[in-house]
Amino acid sequence: MAEDLVLDTAIRDWVLIPLSVVMVLIGVLRYFVSKLMRSSSQSPDPKIIKEGQVIVRARNLRAAANFIPAKSFRARKAYFSNEENGLLFVPKGQASNPQAQMFSDPNMAMDMMKKNLSMIIPQTLTFAWVNFFFSGFVAAKIPFPLTQRFRSMLQNGIDLSTVDVSYVSSRSWYFLNLFGLRGLFSLILGEENAMDDTQKMMQMGGFGFDPTKSLGAEKDNLDIVQHDWALPKFEQRAEEVLRKRIAEH
Amino acid sequence: MGDYCNSNVARRKSWTARHRERERENEEEEEERRTTKMVSKTEEARVTMLENQVDNGGGGAWEYLCLVRKLKLRRSDKVLKHGLSILNDPSKRSSLGPEEWTLYEQVAIAAIDCQCIDVAKDCIKVLQKRFPDSKRVGKLEAIILEAKGSWAEAEKAYSSLLEDNPLDQVIHKRRATMEKAQGNLSGAVELLNKYLEIYMADQDAWRELAEIYVSLQMYKQAAFCYEELILSQPRNPLYHLAYADVLYTLGGLENLQAAKKYYASATDLTGGKNTRALFGICLCTHAIGQLVKGRNKEDKDSSELQSLAATALEKDYKLIAPTKLSSLTKTLRSLNLS
Repeated sequence: MAEDLVLDTAIRDWVLIPLSVVMVLIGVLRYFVSKLMRSSSQSPDPKIIKEGQVIVRARNLRAAANFIPAKSFRARKAYFSNEENGLLFVPKGQASNPQAQMFSDPNMAMDMMKKNLSMIIPQTLTFAWVNFFFSGFVAAKIPFPLTQRFRSMLQNGIDLSTVDVSYVSSRSWYFLNLFGLRGLFSLILGEENAMDDTQKMMQMGGFGFDPTKSLGAEKDNLDIVQHDWALPKFEQRAEEVLRKRIAEH
Repeated sequence: MGDYCNSNVARRKSWTARHRERERENEEEEEERRTTKMVSKTEEARVTMLENQVDNGGGGAWEYLCLVRKLKLRRSDKVLKHGLSILNDPSKRSSLGPEEWTLYEQVAIAAIDCQCIDVAKDCIKVLQKRFPDSKRVGKLEAIILEAKGSWAEAEKAYSSLLEDNPLDQVIHKRRATMEKAQGNLSGAVELLNKYLEIYMADQDAWRELAEIYVSLQMYKQAAFCYEELILSQPRNPLYHLAYADVLYTLGGLENLQAAKKYYASATDLTGGKNTRALFGICLCTHAIGQLVKGRNKEDKDSSELQSLAATALEKDYKLIAPTKLSSLTKTLRSLNLS
């Protein structure tokens, strides 16, 4: 059966190559469009920056607590984790959830929408276009045999169970291009810019992490730190070091 | 990147991009920044090697400049010389591709640091032609104004840049240093405090603030800053030393004892090679002795640290500066340590 199928060269010229070229061009076009639509003044929220910095500082305090005198440590601990206005203390009700935050900030929602639109619109259009013009074509043949499991991947749109699996239908060729052109884009557009659809789809799942959670965790960690000033030990160590040095000659 | 299946990818990616940009921008600060970052031994060796090579007419100027930029070293004269030699050679310049503009920026800053304002202006002009609305170029222009000493204009330029991006770290720092350069230390303190309220994990700013506080004789505040530095880098002997200095200056039994401990830790961390720390131990012991004199001598500390420090000092002086040995012994004798 497989030997019988001979693909017309016209299919190569009028289906396979145009489809690939169009996919590449659309990818490039979409990159530029999304670049245009990206809101330029992407100023980060000072509160978020501050929270990140607070966490770094609290972590430093926790890690190196034994290097400062007890008084200084207590003062800092109180500064970070007191129940009134400590930096790490998050009032119960205020724990903002990112979903609500997104809706309260129209810019953020707008951004998401732009991103999604720039992804969904061309994708639906190209899919419709492929479906309309090229449905049912066997567009290519891969040069090695494959098991039946690949049928749904490679022969999307052809409902013949007798066709050998190594034949690729046009719609599947479209999908292969959609997900497989990332490497090419990173060559054309530079490493950073190659955001392919698969990645974008992953991002859609949800967004934002909750900084208040990490603040709370850091506060708990800080609360259980026992201060044990390390410096008295250093006096003995310094003595040893000096003794060794003096005895060198 | 592709392995992350969660939502943070976008955020993280944009964050890294922003971070990278900020890092690049931070290079602009080179002129005021001493190399607080630890430079690893191998990299240091490589820089010296490349520097020798480039100075003696060998190739590798571009690699040298890249390395200087990466390690945030302040070698303005060399950067200016070798960077200009690349920029003045059209074939070499064009072979850099887009990195050309980075080089222009680097050379501009080096030129400002060397007070070659004209060279810097030329570089910035080129950059301006290429990036007409860039904030980064705007920053360079403001730095030039600052270098010329036209404070009011520079201030105006910075504040207009801040309007667009109120959270720009570099500009906030530059404004603080500008106050300092004009001698308005309390203004610098105010700006730095405001900056640290948000960017409270910025070591360089803490360090700058500590030094300003010391020069304003506000030792308690300075001690706080040095504590902060010790927290962020607990193994850096320089911070221990500076903190001990401040504590010693504050005086009082408790502070003196703490100062002695920090001098001891600095000694330990430097392998006993820091002369200042050794002297510090001696002085602290003497001062503590003066304070507890007459009180009950129960808790007279029995350690031999001070005598060891004195011996180490004598040994160092014998080895390095034998002519000064007599004055050292005199000093030590006056401290009852010899």
